[in-house]
Amino acid sequence: MNMSELLTHFRTHGTPLTLSRRGELAWDDAELHREAWEADPEGYALLALVPGVRQWQRARVLLRILASSQAHLADPARAVLAKVTRALLFGLAPDQAVTALLAVRRLRANHKHTTRAMVAFALEHPDGDALVAARRPALVDCLEHALGKSTARACARLIAEGDVGSPYLRSRLLRFTRDPETALRRVRALYGPGVHNAPVPQEPPVPIDPPREDPEIVTVTNRGDIAATLVHLYRGGPESELRPALARYVAEATRDLPRLAAHVALVLDTSASMRGYGEREWAIMSQAEALRLVLAEVCERLTVIEAGGRPDAPAGATDLATGLLDALAAGPDLVAIVTDGYENTLPGDLARVAASLPGAGVTTPVVLCQATFARSDDLTFRTPAPDLPRARFWHQDDFAELLPWLLCHCAPGRAWIRQTVLDRLSRRVAAALEGGRA
Amino acid sequence: MTELATLMPAPVDLTGYRLGPPQQAGALTVVPVWGPEHAGLVPPRGGLKLRRVVYYGDLELHNGAPEGVAIVPLHIGYIQHGAQNHALCSAALIAAGQTRRFENACCVQAGQGGYLQGRDQWFFVLPLELRAEALRLRGTLGFAKLWDAIAKLNEAYGLPKRGHLEQILTRKRPILTQWQSRLEPLPGQVGALFFVGERFAGMEITPSPRYFADMWMPLVCFAYGVAAWQAEPEPRPAEPYRAGSLAELRAELERDRAARMERVASWLAEPAAGGEWTVEEEERYLDLRLSTVTGNGIAGQVVTRDGRPVYASLFSTRWER
Repeated sequence: MNMSELLTHFRTHGTPLTLSRRGELAWDDAELHREAWEADPEGYALLALVPGVRQWQRARVLLRILASSQAHLADPARAVLAKVTRALLFGLAPDQAVTALLAVRRLRANHKHTTRAMVAFALEHPDGDALVAARRPALVDCLEHALGKSTARACARLIAEGDVGSPYLRSRLLRFTRDPETALRRVRALYGPGVHNAPVPQEPPVPIDPPREDPEIVTVTNRGDIAATLVHLYRGGPESELRPALARYVAEATRDLPRLAAHVALVLDTSASMRGYGEREWAIMSQAEALRLVLAEVCERLTVIEAGGRPDAPAGATDLATGLLDALAAGPDLVAIVTDGYENTLPGDLARVAASLPGAGVTTPVVLCQATFARSDDLTFRTPAPDLPRARFWHQDDFAELLPWLLCHCAPGRAWIRQTVLDRLSRRVAAALEGGRA
Repeated sequence: MTELATLMPAPVDLTGYRLGPPQQAGALTVVPVWGPEHAGLVPPRGGLKLRRVVYYGDLELHNGAPEGVAIVPLHIGYIQHGAQNHALCSAALIAAGQTRRFENACCVQAGQGGYLQGRDQWFFVLPLELRAEALRLRGTLGFAKLWDAIAKLNEAYGLPKRGHLEQILTRKRPILTQWQSRLEPLPGQVGALFFVGERFAGMEITPSPRYFADMWMPLVCFAYGVAAWQAEPEPRPAEPYRAGSLAELRAELERDRAARMERVASWLAEPAAGGEWTVEEEERYLDLRLSTVTGNGIAGQVVTRDGRPVYASLFSTRWER
């Protein structure tokens, strides 16, 4: 399975992992995860941190990492896996993480990194006090699986007796934790009397996906700063004020993104429907143009084929099929079609041309990025090529998900995703050190 | 694509008008029309306003433009929340600053009380399926005169059999209004031919691109979009072209498109086969003449100036449900 198929699976398959009352694990895509891990452990693990991956897929990746030996991996790869593990432990909803950890126990997997992870979760979780109260038996199971039942209980007994740092306690427990003081308190709570009906914390303490604006009422100007500025420009606002602001917003949006060593061709739908009308006028065109501006910064080479009029004067019918052929003629590594999905010159042409590409000897990946007004737009009549990989976007915050999905369809995208996630992990660690969480 | 001159007989002499490449979406095909722009005629949004409903089936329109004659589009209707929605059975000519009363209007919402006011209203054009009946009843008084036809239409579309056009226009609005994006007006366009499936549905010619832009949504979404919505074809799997290279693929696409254009062009024979036409003048304003034309399977109204059409709304009469 290639990266784009794997990421698509991670983004779309959200079935929960479950453990029956007898502890039997139901993991419907275990084979896929095993193959992906064996092919590229580091790349597989990093992919779990790409924005937009389903949380239950992240739980599966955590399970796979903890259940698998890392003996054959070099130190740098292990260091990456350790960072990913920590991000997943505290980036999942506590119940999901507990399920993954109990599944590790069920699989009887116990490696050094497994022990570290389980101890970290049980004793260092940012919401650990509430979690201990709510899921005490499960956390005890995790700790005893990690340390060994008799060792864990011996440590608990010593702590109960007032031991805060004996050689035994240090070598068997405290060396696995970054915060001995909290660990001692949590072990006392784990082996102390429980709390009846304590609520389980529901939210991940350190969310993996970047925060996003989620306005209750969507307007043309609350869909991200780039699009909002473009809307004002298209409406005829003052260029002298808006152009510099636009450049600044694009720079901010792309500041932390690496360059993609690839040639991307963008078929940009600039037909009349992209302008929209009434209260939605300019909403879709501005967001599509925002994506183009971001891609222009990210891609080493970007060829843009405008299908219709211009972004500031959309006009005419939608001929995406000819746009696709023009884009392919430029010899890119990837073609992205950005459209509202309304095709009328003539309908079905894009699908037919896309279906004809393999026979014409074209192997360039082609994807469809669908611009919508809001998350819930009805796309019944807006699916011009159902067999093309597609993703929708309506807000600038969607770019965090859209870009990895889009770029993973070309070979250089693998390195881009790896670098992007590693950079995010580094920033996350730095932020956590400042903020004292995770 | 082709000249329009031979498509319709007099008084719909369309010399000077030409057709553009068709657009298709679902069951609806639109062939754009370009042609001369006629000055001094007010577009519907520019000056035409519903002033009030005097009584059910009796309303007043006002041309508020400082100058120019307003051509009231054929079968225009007004929708307002909480009020009885109305439509007109005939086009009309209203001079600048003039208010005109239409006592032969029809209610399109049986059982709804309240009168339309001159606020928060939007306009539509009666669906194709009702247009022949509405035109036939243009001289008849009685606000309920279209209720039976509306009820029949609702029933045919699986909706409760009531004289409520609102069941289609308002409740299906999210689907119907997508037509204005699924098909796109082109710069300078003054009219269009509409086909549903492969059958001629209507021809609309307006005095100017601005007038047509005002009419685009009511025409594509409501006048012809309703029938097309009901005829929406099932999506079919894409059949690849036989092409061994990009160049061959481009050639195949162009060949296939040309074949489909020709096919659409062949549909144009239907309106041309209207047979003998009868022309009945309805009203005149200076050199403008409003006439009702009726042919074999086609009917509608035309506004001419010096014998040349400046506005035409002609539709197939074979769509009654």
